[in-house]
Amino acid sequence: MAQYLPLLAMLILATVFAGGSFLASGLLAPKRPTLAKAAPYECGIVPDREPAERFPVRFYLVAMIFIIFDIEIIFLYPWAVIFRQLKGFGIFEMVLFTVAVFVSLVYLLANGALDWGPAKRLMATPTVDPAGARDPRRTSSSTVRRIGPTGKEAA
Amino acid sequence: MLDATWLIPALPLAGFALLLLFGKRLGEPWSGWLATTTCFAAFVATAVVFAGLVGRAGDNRQFDQHLFTWFKAGSLKVEVGLLADQLSITMALFVTGVGALIHLYSVGYMHGDDRYPKFFLYLNLFVFSMLMLVLADSFLLTFLGWEGVGACSYFLISFWFERPTAASAGKKAFVTNRVGDFGFMLAMFLIFGALGTLQYAGPGGVLANAGHLSHTTATAIALLLFLGAVGKSAQLPLYVWLPDAMEGPTPVSALIHAATMVTAGVYLLCRVNPILGLTPGALDVVAWVGAITALFAATIACAQNDIKRVLAYSTISQLGYMFLAVGSGAYVAGIFHMVTHAFFKALLFLAAGAVIHGLHDEQDMKRMGGLRKYMPVTFGCFIAGWLAIAGVPPFAGFWSKDDILANAWQHNHALWFIGIVTALLTAYYMSRQVFLVFWGEERWRDGEDHGEPHEAPWTMALPLIVLAGLSLVGGGLNLPFNKHTELLANWLHPVFGDRLHELGISSASKWALAGTAVALGVIGIGFAVAVFIRGRVDPERLEPAVLQHGWYVDDLYAAIIETPGRLLAAFSAFVVDTKVIDGAVNGVASLVRNGGDRLRRVQTGYVRNYALAVAAGAVLILGYVAARAGG
Amino acid sequence: MPLELPRVEWATILPETILVVGAMLILLGGALLRRRLPAWVWTVASIIIAAGAMVSAWDLWRRVSHNHQGGAHTAIANAVVVDGFSVYFALLTCGAVILAALMADSYLRRERLNAPEFHVLMLLSASGALLMAAANDLIVIFLGLEVLSIALYVLAGFAQRRAVSREAAMKYFVLGAFSSAIFLYGVALAYGATGSTNLGEIAAFLRASVSTHAVLLGAFAFLIVGLGFKIAAVPFHMWTPDVYQGSPTPVTGFMAAVAKAAGFAALLRIFFSTFGTHRLDWQPLIWALAVLSILVGSVLAVVQTDVKRMLAYSSISHAGYILIGLQAATVRGLAGSLFYLLAYTFMVLGSFGIVTLVARDGDARTGLDAYRGLGQRRPGLALVFTVLLLAQAGVPLTSGFLAKFYVISAAVEAHSYALAIIAMLAAVIAAFFYLRVIVVMYMAGDEADTADADPIRVPFGAGLSLAVSVVATVIIGTILAGPAFDFARHASILRL
Repeated sequence: MAQYLPLLAMLILATVFAGGSFLASGLLAPKRPTLAKAAPYECGIVPDREPAERFPVRFYLVAMIFIIFDIEIIFLYPWAVIFRQLKGFGIFEMVLFTVAVFVSLVYLLANGALDWGPAKRLMATPTVDPAGARDPRRTSSSTVRRIGPTGKEAA
Repeated sequence: MLDATWLIPALPLAGFALLLLFGKRLGEPWSGWLATTTCFAAFVATAVVFAGLVGRAGDNRQFDQHLFTWFKAGSLKVEVGLLADQLSITMALFVTGVGALIHLYSVGYMHGDDRYPKFFLYLNLFVFSMLMLVLADSFLLTFLGWEGVGACSYFLISFWFERPTAASAGKKAFVTNRVGDFGFMLAMFLIFGALGTLQYAGPGGVLANAGHLSHTTATAIALLLFLGAVGKSAQLPLYVWLPDAMEGPTPVSALIHAATMVTAGVYLLCRVNPILGLTPGALDVVAWVGAITALFAATIACAQNDIKRVLAYSTISQLGYMFLAVGSGAYVAGIFHMVTHAFFKALLFLAAGAVIHGLHDEQDMKRMGGLRKYMPVTFGCFIAGWLAIAGVPPFAGFWSKDDILANAWQHNHALWFIGIVTALLTAYYMSRQVFLVFWGEERWRDGEDHGEPHEAPWTMALPLIVLAGLSLVGGGLNLPFNKHTELLANWLHPVFGDRLHELGISSASKWALAGTAVALGVIGIGFAVAVFIRGRVDPERLEPAVLQHGWYVDDLYAAIIETPGRLLAAFSAFVVDTKVIDGAVNGVASLVRNGGDRLRRVQTGYVRNYALAVAAGAVLILGYVAARAGG
Repeated sequence: MPLELPRVEWATILPETILVVGAMLILLGGALLRRRLPAWVWTVASIIIAAGAMVSAWDLWRRVSHNHQGGAHTAIANAVVVDGFSVYFALLTCGAVILAALMADSYLRRERLNAPEFHVLMLLSASGALLMAAANDLIVIFLGLEVLSIALYVLAGFAQRRAVSREAAMKYFVLGAFSSAIFLYGVALAYGATGSTNLGEIAAFLRASVSTHAVLLGAFAFLIVGLGFKIAAVPFHMWTPDVYQGSPTPVTGFMAAVAKAAGFAALLRIFFSTFGTHRLDWQPLIWALAVLSILVGSVLAVVQTDVKRMLAYSSISHAGYILIGLQAATVRGLAGSLFYLLAYTFMVLGSFGIVTLVARDGDARTGLDAYRGLGQRRPGLALVFTVLLLAQAGVPLTSGFLAKFYVISAAVEAHSYALAIIAMLAAVIAAFFYLRVIVVMYMAGDEADTADADPIRVPFGAGLSLAVSVVATVIIGTILAGPAFDFARHASILRL
């Protein structure tokens, strides 16, 4: 068990440090809150109500596409380091991998994943949801707030 | 001639196939005639095979016709073949013979029914399954027939499924039989595990190698097969489905629930007699269950008012006799009674059907009476069946019942005593039925007017007359005068060999036993005369509610099987909950249902709960593992 | 420092390769030509690809079975094994893909869903299943498991417009990820106990060691939990009814057939062959899982009023029956399990095929009421369903009977009498709910209610798929029983 001792020590240290920091700041820091200090952003526009509930789904889509390419890069880096030793085998495998990623990119592009601008019907999406999952009162205009150029809510 | 064996089941199967394809187009009455023809042809084929067997030497009367290999993989090999020997051919003869007669009867009886062709379709399928059961050369094939007759019985009981009682009776029969099937399946696996084969005959077969079974295994197999037989042949405690099965059309009651299917259990035990012979303990169980069932059902039959329910309880009682015979080691007596019973009970059912037919679907005996003037043919035939079952010589029932009772006497006097009391009760309740239906006031004139009762058409009358003749002379198969008149015993002897208990009692005591039986039968009849003709005793006093309700067994089952909570509710909220009365089998379903409902509540639909279940399972497994690692 | 590079024998993973490359081609084609081609093209392409994989697997089968043990070998740095077992599952899976694709064709058009993506995901999922069956390394099994599962998560939610489908996908994903993590933990423990993740090396290590280390027992536990989830064994079954019910019905059929088969492939290979020497340690666990699955599956199926959900529970009880073969831990038991899977694949695909057709527009009508009077309205369909249900109930002359017979007789042979008795008792209960559906179809419902407004249509592809399923169910139970047994028995020869 001796080899696990440093691990245990680390665990204890981490706990002590985290707990100690909280304790110290609670005990030592002066507390004189004002309205401005309590606001989420101390500088900038003062929000007069809660932020909007929904982001456009495209935002997440782009984030996911980014992650795919991120992983590809992560995979390519170590390969680049030893690609001479890996010889033809390495190149072949990497080409296979890149082709797979490329095919998915083509798929994404063809489906308009990177088309910005107003939402476009990708395919002939039919009628309403039969399961009634969508509340007719919740539309994009009711849940997404559009802010005009003046910083005020657009009419 | 023996090569024609395959034709015996093939003919009704062909009838079934033709009816399946063209049944609707044939319509009434041609579909009925087609079914009758195939069944009769099967009888002819059986007779031909029978003649072939007779032509062989006495110890070589066994013919295994290999049809094809079902499947073969490694040590597991299942052959499909038919085994024609003395026992199976005897069975096949009366199955096809009585079956053909009942088909003929149905042509008239089912007249005007909406699903006329479908009825004969099922009937032919039933005959095919029954013949597979009887002629199979392996347990697996017997099981196939066993399930087949069960399914046909289910379909035919609920043939008039518009009536909720019919639908529920079918369900009850199905579920109760499954309990028995469970025993059969287990026995099959045990046999396969112990002997590595399921074939009956041949040098490597089960029958020849039964001696290799250990005593415990043999007892287990025998009792499990008996469990199967108890379900199929409606013995205590699984008999409850048979009275309800009377919801089916009357020819079905006669064919399936009197003459053939319900005797399958007896046949099965006779088939495996080498295994039974190893375990006297199991044989005792069979004998006692049979005897007690015989007495028990006879008491209930004394107080039933439905003309068919009396006969149903009577069937249960007579089947009890057969098991009593098998349990006493008197296999031949059991088979003998099975054959004579097929004659006279089919006759009684068909005659009862004719009465019901003549009275426009009236089944309550209290609303019949005085019918002998209106239906002379039916009356005459019913009398023959009555005398046969009451054990009046020289009718068939006398000889077979006497054979069983003599064997029971030798085996155990207590069993004989139960048997003789049952004989007395049998004579009484059958006389009661005859007097209520054919003598006395014409009570059917009360209530709405259906017009005069009418005699049945010739298609219905002819089978009655033939069966009445057989009920009269059927005893000739096995007359106990000397070795040469015991035709059936000599014929079946090779099947049972030395496992057949020799009747070792003197001929004087034989006659004394027979005399006692006849005397008690006459007393039973005389008592019924006193009650129902002379009116010396008020019949109501002889029919207490406890007997009318069949000792409340259905209710008891319902109470036991239903959860105790439901029982409490039934007592407190409703004194008599309709659901409890509903029947035991519905109880089985609701037990499963209740359990299911409780478990279903676990299925909340929340992922967190599901994940918790996975984690809990993992913890349980880890706990086991930890215990194992520690220990 | 020179690196040791593995030799990749492409021929050994040809079926997987065909499926993956085919899937990518469909993906490309779908992206570029979607508007110009009719939907059936993708179905045909999917079938051709699966058939191609089947042919290449058959070629492997010939090579493996002809020179027996010699034909079975490992490849690609011992990560993959080619033996009767792996090829058996490849053939089974590809067959299931073809049947499911035929069934999905009309479904996708009816529900107006994207055809190419569906087929891509199905083919990818199938490639994962193949990999799981062919893996000779716990890590590769995990790889296959994830490829199989991730595609299935998406497929479960493929009918995005239906809330239940989305819910099914979400539940399946969360719980699936949970169980994958547990599986991975089991892999880690197995590595800790034996020093390798390679199944051959683990087996060699275990043969040499006498005692059982506690860490190894922990590995058994976690691997059983992880795979028990995939095969939907109780108590890891809770997701099954919800996911089966919510998923698009052809996906349910595919999931029930392929995911279960793949889970069993991994379970059988890991426990029977690799951990076979330590069978006394894991047999009781499998015993408990089998009993629970059989009983809970059967009992809960009785109270269901939704046919899709009832079939989900019945698939849980089937998993229990298949586990009986593993519990026996004999070659006979293994062959029994394999035969059961063969029979089960056809039964379950056919049954869910019927549900697809009867559910009609919106996949909505899955209640028992929708089947009322089906015997009058669509006698053919009702007959097919009757045969499939009877087969599931284990009625003689169907493949289901032989399957049950085979696994139970293996249990009896292995002296697991209690298990055999329980299995048969449950079969009695099970007969009740299968029969109930049949009774509803034939007996009740003379009134031709709303049926005429929205008649049940049987498109050609779906009809073909059903015909194949029902014919296979019957002939495997009768005339082809012998060859089918031989097939399963050959497949049970594992390369240890």
